[in-house]
Amino acid sequence: MVFAWKSAGLSYNRYLAIASRVVRRSLKEDKRIIAERRGETDLRFAKWSNGKMGESKNLVDANTSGMASQAGSSSS
Amino acid sequence: MNSLRFARAALRARPAAFRAPLQRRTYADAAPDKIKLTLALPHQAIYTSQGVVQVNIPAESGDMGVLANHVPAIEQLKPGMIEVVEDGGASKRFFLSGGFATVQPNSVMSVNAVEGYPLEDFSADAVRAQITEAQKVANGGGSEQDVAEAKIELEVLESLQAVLK
Repeated sequence: MVFAWKSAGLSYNRYLAIASRVVRRSLKEDKRIIAERRGETDLRFAKWSNGKMGESKNLVDANTSGMASQAGSSSS
Repeated sequence: MNSLRFARAALRARPAAFRAPLQRRTYADAAPDKIKLTLALPHQAIYTSQGVVQVNIPAESGDMGVLANHVPAIEQLKPGMIEVVEDGGASKRFFLSGGFATVQPNSVMSVNAVEGYPLEDFSADAVRAQITEAQKVANGGGSEQDVAEAKIELEVLESLQAVLK
């Protein structure tokens, strides 16, 4: 069985994150405000090579561009 | 005559043969008709190895009900409703955003999901509004990524709307 999210180049992790985001947004107002804080991720990373720090990138942005390139290669 | 004596011997032998298995302790003795359910989210444990009667889960391979002494299984869960039938027949319903359920041999079951809330915590209006929003993106000319994400959202929302009715 091939999952739709897989053929679109998404990871299972990303798929779960999207599904969870939607569930959080569907909650009643009071619960939603508390729950939506859990959806915020804030992580930056940098690759080190030869003892020098490379460009510092936002994890979310890097993931999105990484998945977009994967989607291109898997559909061909 | 010879065969009769044989039968009598078998009759005498049987009670001893029957007694032996009864003394053995089995899974059924250890956990009578109950599943020990753990329903855990990253931020909260809704059940922690609590004895329940039945658990209905939305597995990727189809909806299934799990009773005590179920065969061991690992199931991927679709975003959908899980129903827990507690002692005394009362049932609680939660909507999970997807995860995994594992059934262990000794009537121990654990369900892990990212988000899970009782059905009454959801707002039907918010679901409806998001469906129109997601449909717009899914049918629009966005990137492949955006369309795929909108389709996932639609799938979750439609399943949520179906159980809220």
